[in-house]
Amino acid sequence: MLEQLYNALFVGSVYALFALGFALVFSVLDILNLAHPTTFMLGAFAAYFAMTAVGLPWYVAGVLAFFVCGAFGIALDRIAFAPLRRRSAPGLSAMISSLAVTLIVVRLIELRYGGDFITFPAGAVPSLVLRIGDAVLEGIRLGIVVLSIVLMLGLTYVVRRTQLGRDLRALAENPRAARILGVDVDRAISATFFVSSALGGLAGVLLAFAYNTLDSRMGLPLELRAFTVMVVGGMGSLPGAVIGAYILGLGEVASLVYLPTELRDAFAFGLLFLVLIVRPTGLLGHRAADRV
Amino acid sequence: MARLKTAFASTFICALLVAACGGTTTPPTGTGVAATSGAPKADIKIGLATSKSGAANFYNPQQSNGALLAVEQINNAGGINGAKLQLIIEDDGSARDQGITAFRKFIEQDKVAAILGPTLSAVAAGAHPVAQQSGVPVIAISNTGLGIVGKCDYGPCDWIFRASLGEQTAVPETVKAATSKLGLKKVVIIYGDGKFELDDLTIFKDAFKANGVTVAKEIAYTAKDVDFAPFVTQAKAEGPDAIVASSLAGPAGKILDEVAKQMPGKRVIGGNGLNSAALLSNANAGLMIVGTAWSRASTDKANTDFISAYKAKFNTEPDQFAAQSHTAMLVLADALKRSGNPTDKAAVKKALEATKDLPTPLGAFSFTADHDVKQPTFVMTAKDGQFTPFQ
Repeated sequence: MLEQLYNALFVGSVYALFALGFALVFSVLDILNLAHPTTFMLGAFAAYFAMTAVGLPWYVAGVLAFFVCGAFGIALDRIAFAPLRRRSAPGLSAMISSLAVTLIVVRLIELRYGGDFITFPAGAVPSLVLRIGDAVLEGIRLGIVVLSIVLMLGLTYVVRRTQLGRDLRALAENPRAARILGVDVDRAISATFFVSSALGGLAGVLLAFAYNTLDSRMGLPLELRAFTVMVVGGMGSLPGAVIGAYILGLGEVASLVYLPTELRDAFAFGLLFLVLIVRPTGLLGHRAADRV
Repeated sequence: MARLKTAFASTFICALLVAACGGTTTPPTGTGVAATSGAPKADIKIGLATSKSGAANFYNPQQSNGALLAVEQINNAGGINGAKLQLIIEDDGSARDQGITAFRKFIEQDKVAAILGPTLSAVAAGAHPVAQQSGVPVIAISNTGLGIVGKCDYGPCDWIFRASLGEQTAVPETVKAATSKLGLKKVVIIYGDGKFELDDLTIFKDAFKANGVTVAKEIAYTAKDVDFAPFVTQAKAEGPDAIVASSLAGPAGKILDEVAKQMPGKRVIGGNGLNSAALLSNANAGLMIVGTAWSRASTDKANTDFISAYKAKFNTEPDQFAAQSHTAMLVLADALKRSGNPTDKAAVKKALEATKDLPTPLGAFSFTADHDVKQPTFVMTAKDGQFTPFQ
């Protein structure tokens, strides 16, 4: 039972790590960035390239992927979202635009690395395994659990207590008013995309390390779950997204243990549905003006 | 000027998107495969629908290369009674609708003599009926699921042939070998929710029952699951002698890793989904036992010749999917020659049915009465990054 609890904690952490960046852009800019799974994948491939082609150690490759994905996020905004924003295009246009970026980047990666999954060279990824009785604990998995909690707390601190956070909250409430009040809106938007994409990329690197595998579509299965935990946690709440992620992870593993496996998804998503019936704004949801 | 810039940008983006999504291809031009000028007879067109994009795109370029190599060899040897073969390759996008579109193009626009493909069984379920209705012979080159030949869900499928070893043949052989060598009494099956995985689940259950092995639990996962630790932990609780992975290669790699960590010493038995070159780089690939249609280690002359020619032309090792598409093209060419009239589709179909012990990289090749492949099964495991016979 303890093993499955640990498994659930890890699955929840994976969802949380992915959902944080996704939720940040949605909270501040009202954009459902469908290129987030691509950024996630790009992080893993950036680290892979740094380790195999340049020969960098895993920790340097991880840091490099963080910044590469952050820069990709800014470029993504300039190419896919900013032109639409300037023309006051509807939100659906931004979704389509980000989908186009996804198709192009995924295809480019497939042209370079193929569509099948690839693995890191033997011994290139850190491996620390602890055995406690029958249970197996891996260093990288424990790291992901800790990091998702630290990032949630860190990001919440930045948003609540720093000047950048105040700018973001002003932006989330009313971009025009924020600009009139002296907020550097363009800088705040760039910062949002940088942080969101860098976190997405870091999540991709960590997951690729944990599974020692990466492929061009590795982020896609997480997209629906990230959207789900965002809704359940409360649209616009970063701690809510993380809590929603752990509830979903626990629900999925609990249903695997206690129910026929065919009912697993129905149970997990049914649980989330119940949460929404009781609290339509999600667990930690606020009205629009209090978002982020 | 601004309009011009906008139009240029739009065109550029459209071109990028088409390229990114894997638009249709017409490889015969410039590939040197077909020689149209000076040929005494009109080229015989063959369609190949294969996944160059989408979820199954990793079967390429091997699937295309295997067929291209065969066409080149056949044309260099004089073609089909003087006529050259022309291979037209279309991307099925790993998607049913795109597969149907490709088949329609082959039949209505290109007027092909026969079709190979598509890559996935689920796509074939949509595309094959198009050829069946039009009376165009098809050879399936990588469809291993149920209902591809013989009894098909969509009705009669007598124009469809299969050159890919079906799971109904390969899985029982694998189970029999694993049971006898490992002394299996109890297994747990972890299976995915796709058509291929569900078909495999049914076949595995029947095969274990026939060998007196208890299936203690069946654990389902979905295509959206990313972590397989909970599934293996759940399987471990049953105390099985081995784990069965009814899955594609991606999930199988994660299952292999988890079994190695959580259940040291246990093996993972799988179907054709585990028969992937990408899986060979997994540190725990040596745990798997899988039935395959092709063995690189086979010393059959047709196989060694194929491997040498493939390496010489493409500067890389072939895999099973290259061997199967190559074989299908050899089988088709043999039938076209024997048919007497390659434009008479009924005659080609009859000639395909009469294929008997043709030497191919897969071994001596014949079709059964149901148009299924009749060939040996190779039960394999992995060692030093290669598939090796399971002993």
